[in-house]
Amino acid sequence: MTAEGLYHDALVRMARAATGAGRLEDPQGSATLDNPLCGDRVTIQVRLSQGRIAALAHQVRGCLLCEAAASLLGRAAVGATPAEVAAARAGAAAMLAAGAPLPQEPWAELELFRPVHEVKSRHRCVLLPFDALGEALARARV
Amino acid sequence: MKRDLLARIRRDVAEKQPVVLATTLSSGESRLVYPFAEEAGADPALRAAAREAALQDQSRVVEIPGGEVFLRVFNPPVRVIIVGAVHVAQALSQMVRQAGYDVLVVDPRRSFATGERFPGIPLSGEWPDEAMARLGLDRRTAVVTMTHDTKIDDPALAAALRSDSFYVGALGSRKTQAARRERLRAMGFGDRDLARIHGPVGLAIGAVSPGEIAVSILAELVDRLRRPGGTEARAGA
Repeated sequence: MTAEGLYHDALVRMARAATGAGRLEDPQGSATLDNPLCGDRVTIQVRLSQGRIAALAHQVRGCLLCEAAASLLGRAAVGATPAEVAAARAGAAAMLAAGAPLPQEPWAELELFRPVHEVKSRHRCVLLPFDALGEALARARV
Repeated sequence: MKRDLLARIRRDVAEKQPVVLATTLSSGESRLVYPFAEEAGADPALRAAAREAALQDQSRVVEIPGGEVFLRVFNPPVRVIIVGAVHVAQALSQMVRQAGYDVLVVDPRRSFATGERFPGIPLSGEWPDEAMARLGLDRRTAVVTMTHDTKIDDPALAAALRSDSFYVGALGSRKTQAARRERLRAMGFGDRDLARIHGPVGLAIGAVSPGEIAVSILAELVDRLRRPGGTEARAGA
C-alpha cells in the first residue's frame, strides 16, 4: 500500500476539515494519549449532557490518518453515548484487523480508513483518537 | 564596573543576548556594545571589533580610533537542537558535547529518545516546534533535523527559519531536499529562507557511517558559527 493509497482524496479532505479541532472552555473530561513509535499525540476534551456527548474538542499533532480520525470523531461522536463510542471503536478495530464490515451512520465514514487494513503498523494512527476519547469519557464520569 | 552596567549584562545574559563590555584603557570608561543589534549612533569601528570578538568568543584589547579598548565578550552558550533520536544523532549529540556546546535531542517518538540510547544527553519527547517555542531560539542556536518524517521535520525547520538560528541543517538526499523545499514554499518561505537550510547536511568529506556523518555536520556547524560570512566548503555529507 502506497502513501497515495492510504491518503486518498476523501481522507485528505476529512483531515483538512479538522471538524472539532480546538479547545473547550470547561471540559468535564480530558485526556492526552501519544504513540511513542511515531510521535502522534491526541488531546480530546468532552462535555456531557444527559449521558451523551454535548461537546467535543481535539488537538492533534500527528499524521494525516490521526488527524482524519479525530475529525471524524468531531462530527460523529457528538450526540453519542459512551457505549456507542465504544462500539464504534470496536467496529473500527475489527475492520482494521480483519476487514470486517463497519457500523452504520453516523460512523459510516470509517469506510475511508479501509485501505489502512493492509498496513498493520498504521492501525494505531486511526485508533489513537478513539482511545483518547474513551479515556476522556471515563474521566468525565468519575 | 558600574552597578547599572552589571545589571544590564546580567539581564542580557539571561535573555541570551550577546553583549560586549568595552572599556577604554586610557580613561577606564566602560560601556556596552550590542554587536548584532541595529544601533544608531554607535561607533562603527567599535561595533565591527566587538562583532568579531563575539563571533570568536574571545575577549581582547583592540586599537581603534580614540585609543585602546578592552572588549569583554558575554555570549550565551552555543546550543544545538537535534531533531530526531536516530543513529547519527547518537554520535552527533556526544560530539556536540565534546565540542563544548549545549545539546538537546528532541523526538516525540519517545521510544527512540531513551536514556539507554543517549546516555547523559538531555532529551525531550515534545514536538520540536513546541520545544523550540519553550526554549526560545537565538543566534547562538543551531537546529539539525534528522527524523526523515516530514510531519516532525517540517515544523522544526519552519520554527528554525523564523528564528536567528546560525545553522539550520536537514538530513536527507537531494531528492528529499527538493520535495522539502516545495513544502516549505507552500508554507510561505522564500528563496532567502530556503537558502539558509544546509541540505544535504554536512561538509562534503565522503562521510558514510553515522559517526562520519556526525563529524561532517559538526564541522559545517563550527564553520557557520566562526565564519558566518564565509562560503567555502559547502554541501553534501
